Formats: sequence, structure tokens, C-alpha cells
Amino acid sequence: MHLKYESTLREPLVDGVKDYHQVTEDIISPIEAKPGKLWYIGLFISILLLLFGVFSVFWEVYFGTGVWNLNKTIGWGWDITNFVWWVGIGHAGTLISAILLLFRQGWRTGVNRAAEAMTIFAVMCAGQFPIWHMGRVWMAFFVLPYPNTRGPLWVNFNSPLLWDVFAISTYFTVSLLFWYSGLLPDFATVRDRAKTKLRKMLYGVASFGWTGSTKHWQRHESLSLVLAGLSTPLVLSVHTIVSFDFATSVIPGWHTTIFPPYFVAGAIFSGFAMVQTLLIITRKILGLEDYITIGHVEAMNKVIVLTGSIVGVAYLTELFMAWYSGVQYEFDTFYNFRAAGPLGWSYWIMMTCNVISPQVFWFRKMRRNIMVTFIMSIIVNIGMWFERFVIICTSLYRDYLPSSWSYYRPSWPEVGFYLGTFGLFFTCYFLFAKYFPVIAVAEIKSILKTSGKNFKDKMDVYEDQSVEKFAHDNTHH
Amino acid sequence: MEQKKYWKGLEELHNTTSHQEAVKNEFREDLPFEESESFLGATTPRRDFLKYLGFTTAAATIAASCDIPVKKAIPYVNKPEDITPGVPNYYASAYAVDGEYVPLVVKTREGRPIKVEGNEMSAITKGATTARVQASVLSLYDVARLRFPGINNKNKETDLAKRIQELQYAELDKQIAAALSGKSVALLTSTIISPTTKKLIGEFLAKYPGSRHVTYDAVSYSGMLLANEASYGKRTLPAYHFENAKVIVSLGADFLGTWLNPAEFSGQYGETRKINAKNPEMSKHFHFESMMSLTGANADERFTHRPSEAGVVAQALLAALGGGVSAPAIANTRLKEGIAKAAKAIQANPGKALVVSGSNDVNVQILVNAINNLAGSNGSTIDWAANVNYKQGIDADMQQLVSDLNAGSVGALIVYGVNPAYDYFDAAKFISGVQKAGVSISFNDRYDETTELCKYILPDHHYLESWGDAEPRSGYYGFIQPTIAPLFKTRAFQDSLLTWTGNTTAWVDYLKNEWITRLGSQGAWDKTLQDGIIEPATAPAMGGASFTGDVAAAAAKIGTPKTSGLELVVYEKVAIGNGKEANNPWLQEMPDPITRSTWDNYACVSNKLAKSFKMELGDDYEINAEKKVLKITAKGKTVELPLLIVPGIQEDTIAIAVGYGRGKKEFIGKAAGEVGANAYPFVSYNGQTFDYFVTEAKAEATGAKYAVGLTQTHNSYEGRPIVKETTLEEFIKNPKEVNHDRQHLFETYGEDFRNEGTLYTGGTKFEYPGIKWGMSIDLNSCFGCGACVVACTAENNVSVVGKEQVVLAHEMHWLRIDRYFAGDENNPEVVFQPMLCQHCDNAPCENVCPVAATNHSSEGLNQMAYNRCIGTRYCANNCPYKVRRFNWRDWNGADSFEGNLHDTADMNDALTRMVLNPDVVVRSRGTMEKCSFCVQRLQDAKLHAKKEGRPMKDGEAKTACQQACATGAIVFGNVNDKDSRIFKVRNEEQTDRLYYVLEETHVLPSINYLAKIRNKDAAPVAAGHGAKTEEKAHH
Repeated sequence: MHLKYESTLREPLVDGVKDYHQVTEDIISPIEAKPGKLWYIGLFISILLLLFGVFSVFWEVYFGTGVWNLNKTIGWGWDITNFVWWVGIGHAGTLISAILLLFRQGWRTGVNRAAEAMTIFAVMCAGQFPIWHMGRVWMAFFVLPYPNTRGPLWVNFNSPLLWDVFAISTYFTVSLLFWYSGLLPDFATVRDRAKTKLRKMLYGVASFGWTGSTKHWQRHESLSLVLAGLSTPLVLSVHTIVSFDFATSVIPGWHTTIFPPYFVAGAIFSGFAMVQTLLIITRKILGLEDYITIGHVEAMNKVIVLTGSIVGVAYLTELFMAWYSGVQYEFDTFYNFRAAGPLGWSYWIMMTCNVISPQVFWFRKMRRNIMVTFIMSIIVNIGMWFERFVIICTSLYRDYLPSSWSYYRPSWPEVGFYLGTFGLFFTCYFLFAKYFPVIAVAEIKSILKTSGKNFKDKMDVYEDQSVEKFAHDNTHH
Repeated sequence: MEQKKYWKGLEELHNTTSHQEAVKNEFREDLPFEESESFLGATTPRRDFLKYLGFTTAAATIAASCDIPVKKAIPYVNKPEDITPGVPNYYASAYAVDGEYVPLVVKTREGRPIKVEGNEMSAITKGATTARVQASVLSLYDVARLRFPGINNKNKETDLAKRIQELQYAELDKQIAAALSGKSVALLTSTIISPTTKKLIGEFLAKYPGSRHVTYDAVSYSGMLLANEASYGKRTLPAYHFENAKVIVSLGADFLGTWLNPAEFSGQYGETRKINAKNPEMSKHFHFESMMSLTGANADERFTHRPSEAGVVAQALLAALGGGVSAPAIANTRLKEGIAKAAKAIQANPGKALVVSGSNDVNVQILVNAINNLAGSNGSTIDWAANVNYKQGIDADMQQLVSDLNAGSVGALIVYGVNPAYDYFDAAKFISGVQKAGVSISFNDRYDETTELCKYILPDHHYLESWGDAEPRSGYYGFIQPTIAPLFKTRAFQDSLLTWTGNTTAWVDYLKNEWITRLGSQGAWDKTLQDGIIEPATAPAMGGASFTGDVAAAAAKIGTPKTSGLELVVYEKVAIGNGKEANNPWLQEMPDPITRSTWDNYACVSNKLAKSFKMELGDDYEINAEKKVLKITAKGKTVELPLLIVPGIQEDTIAIAVGYGRGKKEFIGKAAGEVGANAYPFVSYNGQTFDYFVTEAKAEATGAKYAVGLTQTHNSYEGRPIVKETTLEEFIKNPKEVNHDRQHLFETYGEDFRNEGTLYTGGTKFEYPGIKWGMSIDLNSCFGCGACVVACTAENNVSVVGKEQVVLAHEMHWLRIDRYFAGDENNPEVVFQPMLCQHCDNAPCENVCPVAATNHSSEGLNQMAYNRCIGTRYCANNCPYKVRRFNWRDWNGADSFEGNLHDTADMNDALTRMVLNPDVVVRSRGTMEKCSFCVQRLQDAKLHAKKEGRPMKDGEAKTACQQACATGAIVFGNVNDKDSRIFKVRNEEQTDRLYYVLEETHVLPSINYLAKIRNKDAAPVAAGHGAKTEEKAHH
């Protein structure tokens, strides 16, 4: 998994003087302590938001989708915008856990647990929208291909929306498995430290009888690799498939072959921004600055500036193609109704937040500034929300026949539904932060002796040694 | 040999009791099914897990599927002879309301009239209908209709049962006979075209000496009647023959929308607008008006003038034709040139011109008669041999009646089918008059503004419950027969008159006797009822007339037009008309052809005028339904109405529709009650006739805003090739030019564009063996009147959503008529484009539905399986034509949720629901719907042919929109049938004009359009450049 020796030029991934016990203490003890006042307030607000969301959805299901301000021209608005946004956010977790695992990026260990949790919660939130946006949600099971007495009536495998069903559910399942299998050794640690019976029992059940035997570890490592292998294509496929919802259509502004890479880059972009938002708060509140270091923050900011720039290139490519294709409808959509027109403001919010502002991360000072990072992470997520809004709404509101052109403003149940998913997300996240080890203890330990600060410091002596001396000292005759 | 005994153990060898027991109970352990005593204490062992899982899943699935409420139908105990459930019966009848005459065939199902179609045997309308006629079937089931007769308590109750003291007809007849005895009666009606009713009225009036019959038309044509008397000596209307005209000049007559009998004129006009590709010619239509009317929108050349200039325009035209009057000064050069142009065209086509005027001024109409006389129209486009009875009201008679009422000299006032308390310009005076009448009796169908004042209320039948006859034109008769037993305790107006005359014959017998006498036999009468009409076998020869009018005197009386300040015009909306049938949700929801608004009236203003109120065409105007409210004052009367910008309206003119501003919802009905403002008070009496315009109007913004329900907010087609048009001249020169972009497609992708313009090798060819349905829509003969929209609504149970939902763009119309303006903002060209599901063979909606709820039939229909739809709306998003309609709310109770019905217009009352077509399911909330090409009719036609063992004939299967269209602009049929009209239109007759909307997207639509041709000199607005009506001059 990791190198036995790491250059001191590399920043340590764990700061402070840590040994294995200290790591366990740092990360597990918040689970055993009573949570602070802030946690209760946060959870309370989250639950309130969640309840408001439940009420908004109830309102919509009971009275009909007409309580949303969608119309004959604009069939999707905040609902699918939020869906794509949440799915996009979910991407960072899998990317960190799977792709970075395969690429042997040691720094992922500090952030992967929280990022994966975020993925799962974000996908849970995302899943709400395609379900509740259905006009007859009680018939939602029609999208599942199961043997039936209706003909037999089968689902339409040509529909990108059906692909979504499979893509999202697979993604959710694999992410959940990956996350949970990683949690097993840490749950076992909590169980072993537990001083109350209840805790011992609950974490005992949750750890599936983990004993830490070599066999367990070996299987655990293998499973991680297998799941990483499975998740890697998923990182690319999920948002590719989500982008097919639009790319395979005939609507100008949707019908674009650039969408799959553009969506994936955008998803990673927003996912990392969300990880930043959450971890900057978490590390502060739980005092985990030693594990989620400035180095981690900087690494993620690099991903953000890269993916942000990819997205920026995609935006410009779209504009170019709209002109170069010579298609009147597409030209109008991009130049007159996106970049200008009544919804033009949303395009410029998107451009500013996603393309222009992340460029500050070309500066190392900025990348390593917590406050700047935090603000930027919020800005990026606003920008990415608007990207989806722009794609969905500014394409629909003025399409082929001008007679149907319309305008869109959300109604309170639409906003309420969105806020409700924040409630769901943060309720889950607060519970996670309290009851789950927010950093992968076992994985941190695996890199501690090569990348921990106090261990790296010991290497300084060798750094100054001449090669001959080192060879002499370490060669046993 | 000794039987050897093998044993397994000592127990067996010795055969112990325990062994014997063991052998007996082979299975010693109990099977692991545990039965527990209590239900709640039951255990669920591991082995039963799958069983329980299976059961709960199945149970949940079944429970989830059982959401359709069961409704029971009760079969007939004794089946009526003529009624077979599921098989419609058709009866001939006629719509004859306020003089408008449309002979009909009424479709009834299980004894309920549910749809009307035009009677194709009639030479007058040739099967045409209008939106109002199509909607009239819903008025039968109007919940606001009065349900019983009685005496008006005139109290403040809003419950009609308390407001009216119900009485039996016998008792009422007794009281009324006593009350009427010895009194002079004034019978106030709108135009009656029933000869037998008129005879009966004569008998009735004779019984009460000093009585009179006053005909009052809410929107009057007295000016024409009096002018005709002055010009030709007879106070009647002639028969117009637009079909014979090469040049049509309309001075503000909206003959396609509201003038006299639009169903008749639309068909005639349509004949002159159809293009024969081999010999392209069409009439040239000049239009002079102040507001933007439906007819004006269809004109080849349209000119605007101030409302007060109407007379001057007529005089100028007459002068230009050398009519012996001096040419008045006209400041507007465009108008002046237009008049000269029209005059030149008239002169170039002697005997082939027709000039009509919408003015109600006698002198203007005398000038128009003089123009027609000079143009040689009499006897060619105007038939003076026929008397046309559409309008008979003389305004002076009404004035006289009102002053007599106020003088207290009217013994009894009987009101039948008119509502002057609402639509008379000086309603207050009428109201005070009624109170001074000795007795007042109303026959109106609802507790309207006039009925509210009357003592005795005896509601008349709806026309679909009535017997009657009609003589719209001398020698032409139509017959009305009931298609349903009266729903309520109503009684025919004629029955009451007969009773009060002392005649004990029932009206039906009176009518029958009258006609059997005229026709000779019962058999002939039966045949007549079956046909619904009696018309001359060959059209009678047309007659001219010698003009004897005093042109100079008339010209002298033409007032001097105003040159500054605002003027106001009062007009009729195509759907709402004079307001009599306003409480009809189908009509209220039908978008106005020009403004595309629903459910309201408003002040139509030009963009220039709107700018003075800080509102103008553009994005802000488009995206905000809230329009500024204007306070409009004229003649000392004030109304407050939202403004709507109408390109093409004269810039100092405000136009307001009548038919709104009605009384309480409880009495008038939910659709029309308390909506908008009444514009009738702006009408004035000029000493001879009513004037429908006011000079010196004032308008100011009140600061308030009001949401108007527009179904289309963007006016321009932005130069996109979705509408193709050219001029007649260009078309003759180069017929291919109009379709040059289609030519480009062919050149790029080959003639077999259908199969070659695709990604898939070999094409996605499905041959459609058997039937392949297709439709052709001729943009040249579609006038945008909206009859098809209402016909579609009626045929397909399309839900009414109400104004608030229209504002949210939630309307459900399967068929809409897109209206685009092009060119100059002040003098735009207008084009109407019916837009409905194009039944694409490569439908983008079909492949995106996750559950395959929308799919393609082997006959090329794009089908919807409503039961399967889960409402993702993906199909609607991906429809390039945006014709799919989502059930945003529970509009019609087809939903399984209780108490969430969204019904603003009583469309779900048990009574109203009788209008639903049982062949078409009502759609539940959350499902998508759209045009089905009236699949129920197609199936019916196919089955009909199958039963008779023959192939289906062309024209057997007709869509509702096709059937309603007055001009036959819609052709529909089987494109595989080489003898069908649709095949001929596409492949032989109209190959040059034929195009498909958005053909380049390769969705392969089944509906083609025929390019519009304008008969005008100027080059058309170049394709590629949208209207200046829009803010956007794009690339």
C-alpha cells in the first residue's frame, strides 16, 4: 500500500507527535464523549429542515406537481437541478476512496471516510428528486424491471432515465459497501474500547465480529481493492449516464456530445468543494487538524482548480460549437437565451463561480488559506448548482417553437424540498460525526510510520547522511 | 431356505416396545413450524424469512396497485329501443342563438348530447362550426341554469332556492294570466329567426291589444338594416357571397370572427384562399380597422385608422371610386395609399369585389352600399334576392321601449333571451324602467342581471332540449329537435305563450301542425327532422338591386374625425361574443386568437401607448403575467382593466371586449361571474343607432397590477423556418422558392431523407403496412378562429384548468393555435399555426420514457398509455413542439386522493360531467397526455368498415378538429391510400408548399403544413428575420 520510506520533502500527512494509541484516542474519543452544544443545535436545525422538506414533499404529492412552478414548457426545474447537483457532490467520495486508492495517494486516508459518508448522504439526497418529481410517485416501482402480470410489460431500456435508475442504485450500493467495509476495523476498535454495555453491543454488532486477525486484514484489503476496482468505472459512469438524460435529447442546449466528460469533471469539482466545506468545519470542531492538514486541503484545492478549468473549457467549447455548428436554434439558446435573455443572470453566476473565481487556487498561498478555501468551496457549490440550473432551465424555457416560450421561478414547495434534502444530509452527517470515526483510524495508522510528522522527523538524520554512510550503516555484513 | 433376519440393533432383534413405538412414529421430531397462541407473539423463524418476504412484497404490490376507485354502473332494466350502450345516436338540429345560425348534427351517447358537428348538407354553412357552437353543448349542463320556475322574492339571499319561490306551472299560468289581462305587453327578445315562433308571437300579441314585440340585439346591426332600407327599400340583410369575390374590402367587419354568421362566411372566404398549385390564384383582402380583429389578422393588406375615422374611410373609398362625393382629407399617408390601392383593386375587378363594413352607423353603411353598387357587387357577391334574417333589432325601438318603461306606460314586460340590465348601454335607465312595468316576466336560462329584476321567472329550455325551426335566409329552413329530455323543470317559451294566448296545443304539436301543413305529410316532416334542413335543391338565382340611397346626404352626416387624444372601441371576443354564453369554461379557456389570453377582458393598447404607462414589449413584459392596470374613463364612465399590448392596433386606440363584468358568481356561474369589467356602458346612442366607439377617452395607470392568463407570451417566430410564407406573385414566379431550405435537406441527405438522414445504417425503416395516418394543415386557409380547439376539448375530455393555472402555463389544450406577428410593430403581418402532436415516426418522446408509457402504433400513431405513465415529464421536455400536456393537478377527480380536486369552474359537478365523452378516459393527476389523432374515432371507423366487410373509405375517419374546421384547412387520412385526399395533397396537389415543421431534427412528423401565401405586392418579411415586435434583433 505505501512506501516504506517517504522523502522529507513531502509534507507529513499526520502532524504532531502521534503514536498508534494517540491516533486512536484522537479519533475515537469524540464518539465516547458527550457531544457539545453546537452539535445539538446543528442536529436540531437539520431535523427541522428535514421536517420542512417532508412537509413540502407531502404538499406536492397530495396536491400534485402543479404546486411547483413547472409548466408545459419547463418540465424540470429545481427538482432535477438538485438531483444532478447532489449526485455530482457524491462523486468526490468515490473518487477519493477508489481512484486515489488505486493511484496510491496516501493523503486520501485523512479524508476518505468523511468523503465517502458525504457521498452516501448526497446520493440519498439526490435520489429523493427523481422519485418525488414523478407525477404518480405511488407507481414509481414501474421503473423496476420485474416479472409482472401486466402483459408482461417491461421497462424501456432505451430511456436514459431508466439508465439513471440502474446507475444511481448501483453507485449507491457499491459506495455503501465500500464505506462500510472500511468502517469494520474502526468499529471493532470502538467496541474494544467501549466502557458501556450498550456501546459494546451496538458496535459489536456493527463490526460484524471483526477480530483483527491476519486473515481478516488480508480479506479486508482484498475486498477494498475489488470494490475500488468496481467503483472506479462508476465514478465515471454515473455522471456520464446522468448527462445522457440531456445529451441524448433533441433540445438545443441539451443535445451535446461534450456532456459526459464535462459532467464528470463538474461532479468532481463540486464534490471536492463539498468535501472542503464539510472537513474544514469538522476538523475545527472535532480538533482533527493533525489528521486533516493544510496539505490535505491544498491537495484538494489542486483538484478543484484542475476540474474547474476543465469545466471552463467545456463552457467555451459549447459556445464555440453553438456558433460553429451553424444551427440557428442552438446558437439562439447559447448566445441569446443563456448568456443573455431573462435567465442570463444565472449563466453569469455560473461562469463567475465556476470558472473565474477558482483561478485563485493557482496561488499556493490561497490554496493553503483555510478561510479562502472555505469561501471558495461555498462559491463553487453555488456555481455548480447554477450550472445544472442553466443547463436544464435555460435550454427548456426557450426552445424550438417561440409560441411555447415561458419563464420559471420556483415555488415554496420546490425550495422546501431542496432545503429538506439539506436537512436530510446534515442530519445524517451530524449523526455520522458523532457516532462514526470520521477518519479511517486503521488507514491512518497504516501510513503513520512513513508519513507521520514525528516519524518523518526521525528520518532527518538520514537525509543529511552521505549515501556511503547510509549504505554502510544499513548494510549488514 | 430359511428366512434370514437382519437386524440393525438389539432393540429391533428383540422387538421391544420402545422399538415398536419408534417404527410407528417414523418422524420423531415435530416439523419446525411453530404455532403460537397469540398473533403478536408469533415468532418468525429464519426458515420462514423468504416466505414472509414474499408475502409482504406481494401484499404491498397488490395494495399499491389497488388505487382505482370502483364505480358501479347500473344497466338498463328495460332497454330503450333506440339506445344501445356504447353506440352513439345522431340527431339533426340547429344552433340559432341571437340570429346566428349553424345547422348541426348532435351526437348523443346513452341519451346525453355530448358533441355537435356541422350539418354538411346545409348549403349555408356546409358543415362548418364555430368555437361558440362547439362549446354550446357544455352550456346545456351549466350548473348555473335555473332549475325551476317561480316568483322572484328579490331578497338578498345568494341561495336561489330561497331567492325564488318555486311554483308549479299551472299556478304560475293562473297568476300570470290574471296579471296580464288587459295590459299592453312589450315582448323583448333578441333576433328570432324562427318563422313559427314569430307567428305565435303575432297571435300572442294580438290577444293583448296595444302590445308590441321589440327586437334588441346586444351588439346591434341596426345601421345596416336602416341603410339597406334607405338604399334599397327593404329593411333586411342581403346574402353575402365571399366565395365569388376576387377583392374583399372589410371596413372593420370581423366576418371571420364575430360579424353576423362567421361559420357561413369563413367557409366562403376559405374557398377564395385555397391555392390550386396548377393555377395559383386567391382573393385579395384589404382590411381597414382600429383594433386588431381576427379577420384583420388574416388580411393581405391591413390599414389602421382612428375609430372616429371609420366614416371618412368609407367616404374616401367611395370618392376614389368616383362615387359622387368629395374625397375627405386623410392625414395618414399609409391609410390614404391603402384606400387608393383598395379602390384600384375594386375597379380592376368589376363585379368581383365585395365591400363590407362593421360600422353600426347608418350613413357609413349607406356609403358602403354605394361602394358595392359602384363595384358591381349587387347580384354577384351580394344577393339581394334573399332576405337574411340574422339580425333584426332596431336600436330606436329599444330606446323607445326604455323610455316607455320609465314613463310607466308598459303594462307588462316579457324578456326572452336578452339581458339589457347587463348589455344595454344605459343599464340603469332600463333597470329603473323595469321596476315601473306592471308585470315583468323573464324566460332567461339563468338568474342574470335582468331576470333578477323580473317578478315571474319561467326558464326556457336549452336549445338541445327544444323544438323549433329557423329561417336564416328566405327559402332556407333549419329545424331544432330535442336530443335529451329537459334536465330541469323548464318550459319552452313558446309553450308559455301558447298557454297565455289561451291555446291548449303544446308547442311541439303547434310546430308539427304548422310544418305538416306546409310539407303535406307526416312522412315529409319526419324526413325533414332527419335532415335538419330544408333548402332549395339548386341555389336560387342571385338578385341585384337598384341603389336609391342619398349618398350626398349620408356623406354630409359623416362626423369629423378626431385627430388627437385617445379613442376607445368596444368589440366582441371570438369566443365570448356578446357575453350571453360567457359562463362556458371551454370558451373562457379558449385563448383569444389575437391576444392569446383566457378568462378575462382587458384594455388592448399599442406598444407605443403602453410605453406611456412604462410597459412595453420585451422580456419583462413576456415573463411577468402581471400587467399594469389602467383606469379608463370615457363618457363619464370608468373601468379598471389590465393593459395588453396588441401589435397592429391603431396607436391611439384602446379596445375593450364586451361579455365581462357580469354579476354574482352564484347567479351567473363561476366561469363568467365577477370577472373583468363591463364595456357596454361605453356604447352610445347617436340618435339613430348605437355607436361602438367613444372619442375623448382617458387612460391612466392606477399603479396596481393584474395577472392575465396568456397561453403564448412570445409574439415572433424569430425568423425560424417553422412558418413558411411567400407572396402570391413570388409563388407564381418560383413555386419552389418558399421551400428552398427543404430543398437543401434533400440535396444534403438525398430524396430519401426519411431513411438516409439517420445515424442507423439502412435507416429505421418501418414500412407501416396497412394504414398510416397523416394530417395536412393549410396555413393559407387556417384563420385561427379556434373552433378546432374547442372541438378537440369536447371530443377528448380535455380538462379546464382555470385562470390561475393558465397563468402558470398549466393549460391542457391538446391542440393550440400559435399566433405569430412579423414585420412592423404597428402594421404587423399575422400568421396562425395550429400546433398539435405531430405523431413523429422517430418520436423523441417515445425513447425517453422509462416505462414505455408512450409508444408508437403500427399505424404511425404516437400513443399514450395513461395507466402506465408515472409522470416524469421527460417526454414533454424532449418534445420539440411542446405539445405534451401534464396533469399538474387533479382536474377531474380521476385521482385516487380525496379532497385535492382543482376545479375552478364547476367542471366536475355530476351535471357537468354528463358532457364527458365516454369513449375517452379522463386522465388522472400526474400523467401526461396529448393529441391522439382522435384514436377513438379512428378505431370506430375501422371497426365500422370491418363489420361491413370492406376496406375503410377515405373520409370515414375524421378527427374532431378536422370536422370542426369551417374551411377544411385540415386534411386527414390514410397516406397509404393512393386515392385519399391526404395522399393527393402531399404527392400531387401541393408538393411545392408542403413542409414539415422542424423537419431537420429528423423526428419524422406525421403532420405536414402548407406554406402561407399572401396576396400582397411587397416582398414578404424575409425569412430569417423575425419581427420587430420583439426586442431582439438577433444575429
